[in-house]
Amino acid sequence: MLSVMCEGPAYGYEMTKRLGAMGLSIVGEGSIYPLLGRLEREGLVDTHRAASDGGPPRKYYRLSRLGKKALAGGISEWQATRDAVDAVLGLSIAEVTS
Amino acid sequence: MSKFVDACAKEWKRLGVPESASNEMAADLAADLAEAEAEGVSPEEVLGNGVFDPKSFAASWAIARGFARRIPRGFGTTRRPRWTVALSAAASVLALLLGLLILVGTGVQRSAVVQIVQRSVKALGRGRIFITPHRVILPGPPFIGPGGRVFIAPPPPFHLLGWILLLVGLIGIGVTLWLWKPWSTRRRDTGTDGNVCLPSYL
Repeated sequence: MLSVMCEGPAYGYEMTKRLGAMGLSIVGEGSIYPLLGRLEREGLVDTHRAASDGGPPRKYYRLSRLGKKALAGGISEWQATRDAVDAVLGLSIAEVTS
Repeated sequence: MSKFVDACAKEWKRLGVPESASNEMAADLAADLAEAEAEGVSPEEVLGNGVFDPKSFAASWAIARGFARRIPRGFGTTRRPRWTVALSAAASVLALLLGLLILVGTGVQRSAVVQIVQRSVKALGRGRIFITPHRVILPGPPFIGPGGRVFIAPPPPFHLLGWILLLVGLIGIGVTLWLWKPWSTRRRDTGTDGNVCLPSYL
């Protein structure tokens, strides 16, 4: 979610659409609203209310300074995990293909 | 979907969410759902499984924002101290045994049991209920008979005490089981970290 906000401030439904466009259908398992609420409570996002295109004013979420740090930490963790899994899978692939 | 938003608003009110925050969340939700509807997107695609349970959805959002406390584990059950359950069980079994002894025991056993009960009742400050070990005296109201003589209703047989103890024991066992029940049931950890609508990895 923090990464999605890197594209720019977005309101709830807009983020759902961005995630959908990326092929991430996490909404099917749960709504993003409680997650946004948690990010807001933890100070990882800043919010402001602004008019949307032809619609009523919406609450926009954007990364806070703390959120940027958390995102950087999350990216590092993810990459480390991914590398470890890739290493294991690499061995398996070699085993399977040989 | 206004019904859904209304249900959420009711739940937020019930949970004590500040009105300003409740109105803000309701407005955002209504606007998002309206936009989705205009684009032909179903509410399920926006709200996920939460659309089927507005109360849980609203509660998880309020909890996530810090407006409501997480529902404690074991919600809906009252935990009782173990000693309460143990005491209830012991007292119930004792009453049951004493009742059985009176009803089916020998004369000596009955006599001993009735004496024990008599002493216990006296100790509780209830006054004199028993006057003989073999008879339960539950004094009936005195009445004046012919010639101005005062009569007292005859006491019921001692078997009554046995039946009363037996009944008390059985009821006590029932109460003990009721007290014990919360200890025996454990709520399953759903791994949702208190956010009903969120998968655990979020």
